[in-house]
Parts: sequence; structure tokens; C-alpha cells
Amino acid sequence: MFNFFNEVKQNLKNSQGLELNGFNIINLSGHLLYVEGHLGLVTLSKELISFKVKNAVIMVEGSDMILSELSDNTIKIAGKIKKVEQI
Amino acid sequence: MNNFVKKIYKITQKAEKWGKIMKIKNLTKFHISGLNQEKLLSQLCKQCPLSDIERNSKSDTTFKCSYFDHRKVEKFLKSKNVKIESVTHEGYAHKFFQIFTSYGLIAAFAIFSVLYVVQAQFVLQYCVIGLDKLTESEIVSFVKQEFPAKKSQINTKLVETALIDNFPRISFVSCIIRGQTLVLNIKEKLMPDEMYGSFSPLVAKKDGRISEINLISGTLNVKVGDFVRAGDILVEPFTIDTSGQVKQVEAKAEIVAQVYNEGSVDHYETYVEVVRTGRKVVQNDITLFGLSIYTFKEELNFQMYETEVEDVDLSKNLFLPFKMRKTTFFELEQHTVITKFEDVKDEFVAKAKEKALEKCENYQLMKEEFFTIRELAGVTIVNFCIVTEEDITCYDK
Repeated sequence: MFNFFNEVKQNLKNSQGLELNGFNIINLSGHLLYVEGHLGLVTLSKELISFKVKNAVIMVEGSDMILSELSDNTIKIAGKIKKVEQI
Repeated sequence: MNNFVKKIYKITQKAEKWGKIMKIKNLTKFHISGLNQEKLLSQLCKQCPLSDIERNSKSDTTFKCSYFDHRKVEKFLKSKNVKIESVTHEGYAHKFFQIFTSYGLIAAFAIFSVLYVVQAQFVLQYCVIGLDKLTESEIVSFVKQEFPAKKSQINTKLVETALIDNFPRISFVSCIIRGQTLVLNIKEKLMPDEMYGSFSPLVAKKDGRISEINLISGTLNVKVGDFVRAGDILVEPFTIDTSGQVKQVEAKAEIVAQVYNEGSVDHYETYVEVVRTGRKVVQNDITLFGLSIYTFKEELNFQMYETEVEDVDLSKNLFLPFKMRKTTFFELEQHTVITKFEDVKDEFVAKAKEKALEKCENYQLMKEEFFTIRELAGVTIVNFCIVTEEDITCYDK
């Protein structure tokens, strides 16, 4: 079966030494953010959602945001996404 | 009961997968309040996936989970001492499972089942077919009296035997129980008419002179030329054989008699006639529930009058049934009328004939007609007589 993330990783040159198994984020047109590999929520509000990932915290800023899905290791954020920041 | 519910629960979990395919979602929406909800949600999402998580305020959050996980989520929230503000369910699964927790419905179903099982043990209906002379009511009352209504206590063979023993007219009977109906198929013995005919005598239904007799069965009580009155016995319902033994038979005969049908009219030379003058007075009375509400009366100064009363519904509802009683008083006056009999003779004879004709029913032959006039003091009596020939027999009731 086709795996989008594996395909991207395999096509990346000089990927040795990089830690690519941490998390994956996809932003779809600024209205939907899909995250794989989160380690727990940190902040939840309509303007700011932040969550832990391996060795970092991701902050998502926007408006009217809701967590449309939250499972063991995936998050789906819906709303108007303005900024995605890794700290 | 619990195992049954668990089995149903598993089946519906499988159905949930199909529901997802068919886009039927069975979700439960939680509204919780408390602090540090991010941590709580992070822990909760490890147990079951959550959706539509919305932070309404700092301490208020709503989220949804699968209906089939809602107990797990509720347990988790209680263990964390989180205040659950509300829980709402969406989809058909909840409605389906609600049946199993509606104790009123379960109690009604249980009572219905018990009543159904109890009443199913009894015969509620009796069906008797094949009857000719016997009546259904006498058969049913006998069976009800002699046998219990409980199906298990009814021996159909005994019912058949009892019916044959107690009803000599029955030649064959079969008894079966179908559902809650006891079906009796009865064949009666074929007996000559005389055995079960009416044993009442034949009597005369009118006054007359007997002109013809055709005896079929029974013993004659009259002969040709006899005058009989209505109610006289014409044929007795028995015969006496050569050995002198009396045998009951149905009285049957055709007895034709000359019947004198009379009509009488009296003529008075002087009589008082009361007629309406044409003047009238009306009184109206409006009532509600029988109580008079409004009355309108004109002055009544008639010496002689007659009244006509008419009730009219003023409203066509039962809430306020207004009624109006209209009473009309008609003024009357008296006239003394003097007529000579000779002037109205034909008219009175025709009236008397009309009355005589009213008495002529079912006649076979009209023999003759004549009238007589008798004059008394101030009164003339016209008698019209029509002589007919007809069968005057009927059974004595």
C-alpha cells in the first residue's frame, strides 16, 4: 500500500543522521491540520492549540479552531489556521 | 438478562462498523467542567478516540466519543473527579438500548406476556356449526355448564359423548379446540316433520262462515257451513288412530270462509265545528341548559285557542347550547253545522266502503258488497259490508 510519509522520507537525499521518526504534520489549505505522533495536549482554546511531540512542542495559532479528532497518536485540528510553530 | 444485553451490545458494535460505512453515527456528547482539561483529554484519548473537542471557556469543554465507549469515558471522568455537566446521545443505538432500560415498558411487556399466557389457557369462544333444529345457545350453555373453560381440563371425547347423551336429536358430533375456540361440528338426526312440527292448534283469525275445508293433518273441529269467530279452534294438533291412541301431529289445513268485512260511519244532522280564525300570537323563550334567559310575549286575549310549540337550536355546539322555544297561539271559533243526510249520502257511503276495504286483507275472492242505513234520533248510521272468501287459518300463539 502506498505510504505518503515513507515515500517522502525515501526520496530525501542525505537523510542519514536525521531523526525522521518523530512526528508528521500536514496543513491542508490552512483549514485542517493533521498531526501524527503527538504526545499529549498542552493548550486548548479556540485561538491556540499546542501539543507535545518528540523533543518539542508544536503551537498552532488561528481562530475558531476545534479539535475535530483526538486519538492516541493523531490530532486533527479544524478552523482557520494562521501559524504553526515548533518550539 | 445481562448476558443477553452484552450479546446485543457486541452485535450492535459490529453494526456500528456498518453504520460508519452507511454514515450513521452513534455518538455521545459530553459537557465537562474543571481545570487542567488538556491533561485529562490527553489521557482520555489513549483509551478511546475523541472528536469535535471544543473549548467553550477556560473550564468548560465539550467533546464527543463513540456511543459504545461512553461508559468507559464516564468511568474515567468519574475516577478523575471531573464534573460532568451533561451527556447527550446521538444516533439509533441509544434509542435501541433505551428499550432495555425503560422499566415501564418492560413491566408492561411482562404483564402483557403473563396475561397473554394465562388467558391463552382458556377457551374464550364457542363455535357450533351444522345446526338445523337445535339452537347454538342451548348447545353452548350446556357445554359451558358441564365443562370447565380451561383448555387442559377439557376432554373433547367427553364433550362429544355428553352432547350425544343429552341431545337425542344429535346423531354425530365432533369437537376440537382451535386456538381459544372450541369448535363443535354437529349433525342432527333426520326426523319426519310431524316429530318436530308446531303442535299448536289452527285457529280462525277472522269471523266468518266456513265454505271449504281441505284437511292435511290433525283433527277437524268445524264443518262446512259453521259460523266461527276469531280465535275459535279450527283444527286440533292430534289424531286418534283405530286403537284410540292419541298421536301428536302438526295441525295443517286450508279452511276457506266467507268473511263479512264491515265499515261504519255516523252522520249527525247538527254538530259543532271548531276552526282557526287566522289570528295568531307568538311567544319566544330563549333558554340555556333549561334556564330561561330571554322571553318575548305578545298580549294574548283570545277566548279560545290552540298552541303549537317548536324548539330550535340557536347554536350548533355543546359548549353553549342556546335553544329557542317558539310557542304559537292560534285563535279558534265555533260554528254550528247543520246538514241533511240525503245531501251527503254518497259521500258517507263511500267513507263506509273505504273503512270496509281497509279490513279486506289477503282475500282470495270478493263475493258481494252491500250497505245498510239506520236512522236514529239526529244520527244516521251507514254500514257497508264486503263479503270475501279467504283462508282464515292461523296458528294459536
